[in-house]
Amino acid sequence: MNFEPKIVAFCCNWCSYAAADLAGTARMQYPHNVRIIRVMCSGMVHPEFIMDALSQGADGVMVLG
Amino acid sequence: MTLSEVVKVDGNAGDFNVTVKESPRYVDMDKCIACGACTDKCPKKVDSEYDAATGKRKAIYVKYAQAVPLKYQIDPNACIRLKKPGACGLCEKACDAGAINFNDTEKMHEINVGAVILAPGFEAYDPTDAGVWGYGTNKNVITAMQLERYLSASGPTEGHLVRPSDGKPVRKLAFLQCIGSRDENLCGNGYCSSVCCMYAIKEAVIAKDHVPGLKASIFYMDMRTHGKDFDMYLERAKNESGVRFVRCRVNGVETDGEGGDCRLSYVNEDGRQLEEFYDMVVLSVGLQTPKHVLELAKTADIKLTADNFAATSDFAPVQTSREGIFTCGAISGPKDIPQSVVEGSAAAAAVADLLSPSRHNLTTEPTFPAEKDISNEDPRIGVFVCHCGSNIAGVVDVKAVEEYAQTLPNVVYVERNLFSCSQDTQDMITKRIQEQNLNRIVIAACTPRTHEPLFRETLKAAGLNEYLVEMANIRNHNSWVHIQDPKNATAKAKDLVRMAAAKVTFGDSLTPISVPITQTALVIGGGVAGMTSALNLAEQGFDVHLVEQTDTLGGNALNLKHTWAGEHVPTEVAKLVDKVLWNEKIILHKEARVTAVEGFVGNFHSTISTKDGKSKVIDHGAGIIATGGEVFIPQEYNYDNITRVVTSVQFDKLFELKERHVRIAKKFVFIQCVGSREGDNMYCSKVCCTHSVQSAIALKQERPDRNVYILYRDMRTYGQREALYRQARKLGVIFINYELHGKPKVTEDGDIITVEVWDHVLHRPLKIECDLVILATAIRPMPDAADLGKLYKVPVDGHGFFQEAHAKLRPVDFSTDGMFVAGLAHYPKPIEESVAQALAAAARAATLLAKTSISLDAIKATVDENYCDGCALCVDVCPYGAITLVDRAEGKGQIIRVNKAQCKGCGLCQGTCPKRGVFVAGFTMKQISAQIQAALAV
Amino acid sequence: MLDTKKVGSVMIVGGGVTGMQAALDLADSGYYVYLVEKSGAIGGAMAQLDKTFPTNDCSM
Repeated sequence: MNFEPKIVAFCCNWCSYAAADLAGTARMQYPHNVRIIRVMCSGMVHPEFIMDALSQGADGVMVLG
Repeated sequence: MTLSEVVKVDGNAGDFNVTVKESPRYVDMDKCIACGACTDKCPKKVDSEYDAATGKRKAIYVKYAQAVPLKYQIDPNACIRLKKPGACGLCEKACDAGAINFNDTEKMHEINVGAVILAPGFEAYDPTDAGVWGYGTNKNVITAMQLERYLSASGPTEGHLVRPSDGKPVRKLAFLQCIGSRDENLCGNGYCSSVCCMYAIKEAVIAKDHVPGLKASIFYMDMRTHGKDFDMYLERAKNESGVRFVRCRVNGVETDGEGGDCRLSYVNEDGRQLEEFYDMVVLSVGLQTPKHVLELAKTADIKLTADNFAATSDFAPVQTSREGIFTCGAISGPKDIPQSVVEGSAAAAAVADLLSPSRHNLTTEPTFPAEKDISNEDPRIGVFVCHCGSNIAGVVDVKAVEEYAQTLPNVVYVERNLFSCSQDTQDMITKRIQEQNLNRIVIAACTPRTHEPLFRETLKAAGLNEYLVEMANIRNHNSWVHIQDPKNATAKAKDLVRMAAAKVTFGDSLTPISVPITQTALVIGGGVAGMTSALNLAEQGFDVHLVEQTDTLGGNALNLKHTWAGEHVPTEVAKLVDKVLWNEKIILHKEARVTAVEGFVGNFHSTISTKDGKSKVIDHGAGIIATGGEVFIPQEYNYDNITRVVTSVQFDKLFELKERHVRIAKKFVFIQCVGSREGDNMYCSKVCCTHSVQSAIALKQERPDRNVYILYRDMRTYGQREALYRQARKLGVIFINYELHGKPKVTEDGDIITVEVWDHVLHRPLKIECDLVILATAIRPMPDAADLGKLYKVPVDGHGFFQEAHAKLRPVDFSTDGMFVAGLAHYPKPIEESVAQALAAAARAATLLAKTSISLDAIKATVDENYCDGCALCVDVCPYGAITLVDRAEGKGQIIRVNKAQCKGCGLCQGTCPKRGVFVAGFTMKQISAQIQAALAV
Repeated sequence: MLDTKKVGSVMIVGGGVTGMQAALDLADSGYYVYLVEKSGAIGGAMAQLDKTFPTNDCSM
């Protein structure tokens, strides 16, 4: 019953990764389930990465950019 | 140097001795890690300057969350301890880094410099004393800067617009323009502050976005949105956002009832006295020179204008009256952000001109030990886990993370640090790398966005390739956002370390790309802007090619007589032409144009062709486009049919020659905005209002019995030009406002020309019989601008002017590196703004040309020859045009080639490639796959 | 060129957007820059503005 999803987030260095940094600076609290992978642009995220993540057990994938 | 003020300036240009007083911060900048523990404990609250007194801050504080340097400071006027020795001192106990120093003292520094740039900025006018606006008595009357803070997500109300008096949501909002500007009675500031119209519109639009259904009204005298794209913004605010614009001057604001409603009374355009009620009133306060800047001006011994701004010449807009001292920004007149940024670069150019013999004298390049080749070594990863004081260690069990890291594959060394970023830890990491023979490093600490450069330097210092470090962000993305959940935060920290280790295992040594630079500039256009850029670069010591399409230097300035400040244009232009012709570093190509371009930043090859059919290739490292604009030839107002309907440029010539028609004429009508601010040309030509007002003054001064009318839409004599508008009215020039739907009509009957215009005040058409009609015609872009733009891959905007890289922050750069823009080619503007922009473009170009090569980040797309089959899918998606398709050697099909100087490492190619034929170094498919796998491994 | 002393450094008084731009350009073209700011941090008035002008974009 205590399902803990695993979420992989691809974050663009210039916007969403920076935003995640700022969320920290502002001490905004959010669930711990997300693992952020930094990319230089969300355009870099190959479809294979998303498939990889899902097939290896991720419950969700976010591409933020 | 923060908390510092200049108290004395001795010496001369090239060799000043400046005394700087540094006030105590009471916090050791080297030790403070900006964790904020001190502020949490500080019991004293005072108004925040940053929030314009809408919010509070503590006595120990950081100006704002993104401040640079991000170091705390103690306000000695608020701190309990500093006022009473022995008291409080809570911050000292809270600080793990031991950064608090109550015994800090004021320091004096004497600094020897070659030049001084004054950029102290402005202050907003304080409307408290004026009384009539209710500011200070009614809480719901606020200044525009305060609204700016209320609207901000980081502001006191987190972006919610509520009334300060009772917390009620704001439904009706009024903006009052020209508070502390264009007003000699209440505040003595006769000038226009130039920026308030635009910021009021922006705030109204944003406020309406925040609060659906909000009614926002702007009460104004003239809408001065003369900057690039500003008129389009105004139109959108009116038509799409539904902001209401009311032309009038509001008499005053009174409080109505208990809740603090604001009652405005004003006289509308029909002359009727009206009253309206609002929840909140925003005063669009003007800009003025603060007292401390007046003192600074005195210290620096520079002259000021009557409006208390630094006096400068239109042809040297950043040079003060004292040689070697320059200005930029609002000290030399109210101005907006783009113009301030332009002047910042312009001041840099002016300084570089003065000091060019001493370039590189005082700067040094750091040296590093030789780099170790690790390509044949097995990975030996060192992990450094940072406590960040209590920032990480207070939430995450760092000891558990350390123990866990030791179990990871390839990890051979793990250590914890109190502060990984401190200088002593840096030295320690360097030592460990060498001692333990580490060849991959993981730093589990904060964000790579701020700290990766630091750790890269550490690796370099240890003789390891700088790209072999990976940061695990266990602070910003973990301990700070899971404060209440130490167990899961610790687990996440382990995951993040595992992911970083997995990625760095597949990391390679990368070499930053070094691109040689041809230290020569190409300037296209021989007008005032082009000549100014060319001359400045030549004075800085660079070779310059100046390309002019016609056989004469001078451009549009050849048509002008006086700048707004009254300087004689022909004399100044002649001086400039002389200097250009005599300068040995400038090679002039007349009757020439650029016809083909190859290359990229640092290495352009431009083909220029002359009229006689000859062409040659010029190698240059940077280029400046200053091709100017052209005068619009009107078709309306019977310009073609009536000889006494002339353009302003034609009128200037006739007036100067004392032509008979002008000499005997008694009645003159100027019509403004001919070809500007309507239809497809929704932009302001910026110079015409001032030009017509100046001509009208000259006509009146010559013969006061002349009747001069100016038919205008908004009188845009911005900044200190307002003095001209005042003078014209005093001399009896009649100003009549017209709207687009009631444009003037010009007809001729025998000797009499009749101009018919709708009079708003009398509500009926007004007929003016006159002898001469002068059309204030627009400035148009050059028709071939887009063609030239294509050659250099630089864009033009919807109107045909060149489009800069960023409207605010990069106003003279193009998005294509190495190319810059100045003058009318960018947007209509008066001479001093063209000169400032030309100097700025020169300064920006010089930042490239000063080096023999540029080093570019190694994070670049790289082709894998084994997999690329030349399908070219990536060629189209590359936003920088960095990828081309070429033939493989010996005719074995095709392959892509990446120009690393143009590549920005975004990896769109990598995301697109179906065959793994191209990857971004440092973010390879293997590295990211390893990271994904590691993320999901447990 | 007159043979007078020219010191290869510059002092910029004011750490707002215009002062920072001047500082960056001069440092990038080979001059030593002293940036003198009256308050505790650079950024000036632009850092107070909400929209349109990204506050964390002060490029230092």
